[in-house]
Amino acid sequence: MVHVLHEAHRVLKPGGILIDLRPAPHHRRVGLGAGTRWQLVGVMRDTFDDDHAADEAVKRVLREGLFRSEPPFEFKVDRVMDTLDDFRAWITEFVQQGGFPPHDWLVQRVERAHAKRDPRTKIVVRGPLRLRVMSKQPP
Amino acid sequence: MALVVDPQGNEIRALQRVTDWRGKHVLEIGSGNGRVTLRLAALGARKIHALDPDAELIQQARQNLPKLHARRIEYQVAHAEHLMHPSETFDIVLSSWAL
Repeated sequence: MVHVLHEAHRVLKPGGILIDLRPAPHHRRVGLGAGTRWQLVGVMRDTFDDDHAADEAVKRVLREGLFRSEPPFEFKVDRVMDTLDDFRAWITEFVQQGGFPPHDWLVQRVERAHAKRDPRTKIVVRGPLRLRVMSKQPP
Repeated sequence: MALVVDPQGNEIRALQRVTDWRGKHVLEIGSGNGRVTLRLAALGARKIHALDPDAELIQQARQNLPKLHARRIEYQVAHAEHLMHPSETFDIVLSSWAL
């Protein structure tokens, strides 16, 4: 990760900015219904090892004086799925890519909750993103 | 798979809030299927080089690229640890879920 940040510094023009956009280290919450009708069904058991490693890499390049950081901020992002099949496909891929423990228990919980609702009810995964702006500093 | 990410547009508003993208030369690291890339184009970036190590996702991004943005967006399969671009090329580098 540090190599990526060093490369970003190299290819930026003087005064350019690096924007680090990634999921905030909070457990994603899975619910049913969109917007204000959203109701929590379960909280994922994802882990944040990669986030901590990325944070350490950012701290290192800040210590090196390559960038000056503005305070990061978070904002809400929903991932909206039309069907249970969509949710199963999403969570399978998410768990595999992240190396997280199986979430069969959560799939079953969502299936049970969804069965009591209008079949058109959407499955919505909520998890904020974090954005940090870093300005390139002269050598 | 019918998955819509950020239907409220919070992400694009956050990106718009932090800088003026109009006329900027942008490198996007971790462009995936081009979801964010197209939003950057909508914000007025002059030229976007979008990289991702996943060839399948880059292929999807190229297929989804509207003609409207075809001259401004260039997708490439690449790793960000060793960029092929010359030094001091870009106004903005966006690490998009890539760190």
